[in-house]
Amino acid sequence: MMKQYYYRFLLILAVIVLCIYQVYPPEKKIRRGLDLQGGVHVVLEVTETSQDEKVISDLADRALEVIRNRIDALGVTEPVIQKEGTKRIIVDLPGVQDPDRAIEIIGQTALLEFKLVSDDPELLKKALEGNVPEGYELLYFKEKDERGIYRESRPLLVKKEPELTGKYIEDAYMGYDSSGFPDVNIVFNKEGAALFEAVTANNINKQLAIVLDGIPRSAPVIRERIPGGKAQITGKFSVDEARTLAIVLRAGALPAKMDMIYREVVGPTLGRENIVQGFRAAMYGAILVVIFMLFYYAAFGLLADFALALNILILLGVMATLRGVLTLPGVAGIALTCGMAVDANIIIFERIREELKTGKSPKAAIDAGYKRAWAAIIDSNITTIIAGLILFFLGEGSVKGFGLTLSIGIVANLFTAVFVTKSIVDWVMITRKIERVRI
Amino acid sequence: MEIIKSPNFNFIGKKNIAYIFSCVVIIWGMVVLAMRGKDNFGVDFVGGDMLNVEFKQSISVNDIRARLKELNIGSFSVQVLGTEGKEFIIKSGPNTSEKIVEKLETTYGPEGDAFSIKGKSSVSPSMSISLRKKAFYAFILGMIGILIYITVRFEFRFAVGATLAIFHDILFVVAVLALTRKQIDASVIAALLTIAGYSVNDTVIIFDRIRENIRKTRSDDYFTLFNKSINETLSRTILTVLTTLFVVLLLFLIGGETLHIFAFCLLVGFVIGTYSSVFIASAIVIDWHRWKPHKFKV
Repeated sequence: MMKQYYYRFLLILAVIVLCIYQVYPPEKKIRRGLDLQGGVHVVLEVTETSQDEKVISDLADRALEVIRNRIDALGVTEPVIQKEGTKRIIVDLPGVQDPDRAIEIIGQTALLEFKLVSDDPELLKKALEGNVPEGYELLYFKEKDERGIYRESRPLLVKKEPELTGKYIEDAYMGYDSSGFPDVNIVFNKEGAALFEAVTANNINKQLAIVLDGIPRSAPVIRERIPGGKAQITGKFSVDEARTLAIVLRAGALPAKMDMIYREVVGPTLGRENIVQGFRAAMYGAILVVIFMLFYYAAFGLLADFALALNILILLGVMATLRGVLTLPGVAGIALTCGMAVDANIIIFERIREELKTGKSPKAAIDAGYKRAWAAIIDSNITTIIAGLILFFLGEGSVKGFGLTLSIGIVANLFTAVFVTKSIVDWVMITRKIERVRI
Repeated sequence: MEIIKSPNFNFIGKKNIAYIFSCVVIIWGMVVLAMRGKDNFGVDFVGGDMLNVEFKQSISVNDIRARLKELNIGSFSVQVLGTEGKEFIIKSGPNTSEKIVEKLETTYGPEGDAFSIKGKSSVSPSMSISLRKKAFYAFILGMIGILIYITVRFEFRFAVGATLAIFHDILFVVAVLALTRKQIDASVIAALLTIAGYSVNDTVIIFDRIRENIRKTRSDDYFTLFNKSINETLSRTILTVLTTLFVVLLLFLIGGETLHIFAFCLLVGFVIGTYSSVFIASAIVIDWHRWKPHKFKV
């Protein structure tokens, strides 16, 4: 009999420890939305009259690659760059210091260049010391570090003057070479074919860097003179890498025209104010609820308050685990969860009072209270979850964050308000042999 | 401690007064809504620019309005935040915010010196259309979800009563927004859906008790039985909404400007949701029963 309770408490304890581990320290573990730390949120739309969805979708893919390339160069922590539907791109840049500049950079037209790489190690060494030779420039590859931030990696000394630019490319696509490895095929237009043939003829065994908006994306070695305007880039590409490089090449060939159809800039001061005001309101609200419950239900109120605290801890723990974004409406969602979390306990406690009035023993009244309140609690929580999930899946930006915290909070509520409080009440009833309860 | 001991009010008997009250507010609100037209909506639903500007010194709203009027940029609104008269929200048509910032610079001094822009947003008409569409779908989907759930758990007539009560709550809140000249934006839609999900809670608790009482008494004097059920659950109906209102009230009072409208909607919506659970939802089921008697299966 008692053993069953030990397992229950062990489970509750495990949940507490796990959540604290996931959440602590909260500044690092919980992602904050733009409205809480400042930043830029833009939605871009491809302006293309073509009716063909595939064409539009491809244009959006190219634009996405161009934008990603630039944002990686900005070194923003945890940027979100994603396609929505076929023709829209959403860009979230949390914590950007100069939002106007970021927006300007995103909006530029793509520039793709082919530049010859210097094969003289002495020149590179000098350049790294700060003496870049005349007619050359120093570029850096960008690579993701373990935290997902792009950092400059390998340096590359290239000729300033490009050999070719994106306007000479007709098409580029991923394919497979004779041994089955992914490769990238480039087709030059007529003018480009002639230029490319000359470049390859004169620079055999040199590297030709493919540079998008000033960042090298690949630097294949020229093996031979290539006539006919068709070239393959082979290497140890993964399918993803090859596809991305092909998109980069196509993006340079015909940059997609984009319209910025939604733009939201939150300055860092406003972000700070939002977080301070939002949290203060949520905290005072929670304190008020806690005091009220203590006042109204005494010992049982304390129990409900414990369940409330646990509910918020689990909510934050799940948020941290799912890497969910906490937005200002999300903070409101947490606050609301505080208000709603005790609802289930109120329903139960009121029911217990009623059962006690019919002359039942404390134990019987408590059991009946929990049992009979269950249906009402489930029904009311599920209707709220329906609303919360819809807001999460259909909501935009900060509203999404609200749907997320609300849904998690309500689900956690079923565990804390019913399972946790019942376990504690039962245990107290058994160990203390209580004859009368005040509720 | 107990707030109400063994209440015995005739709620269902007051239903006609409640119907009249609700209809008056909703119709009046809808008329104002229709008259205001585009002004009812925030920039995310009609497209346009929004600036949040903070000045170093306090400036009168009328002064800003007069200066911006010289620009001939069509309709715009200037709203003061706080009590110091330093922070303003300026809403204007699409692609006008740059002109506004320029004007502010020539009038009051350079940005960064005389004022700073704390936040801004701009929504193109095409984006606003898809935001509106999404809000509409979210709403319909939410209502259908709740309708189906209650039908499954209770009975179709109850589901209709509950859903009509939700519609009532939403319309009521929209009416209050129109009457208080507030703007509907994406956060209002989020608030309305939350109200839909939450206000049905009280209704469900009452229905749950009605179901239980029908089972227990086998009585078909539904008028008395409904009243008894509402009275029995009255204390929890009031307590649950009360604890939630504590939180919403604080969000409304000290949560800051961004949450202001959102919290306002929740505040009105939760109170009205409780009112409709008591006076509207059950009353509709009773009226339906009087019109076409029906024995509830439970």
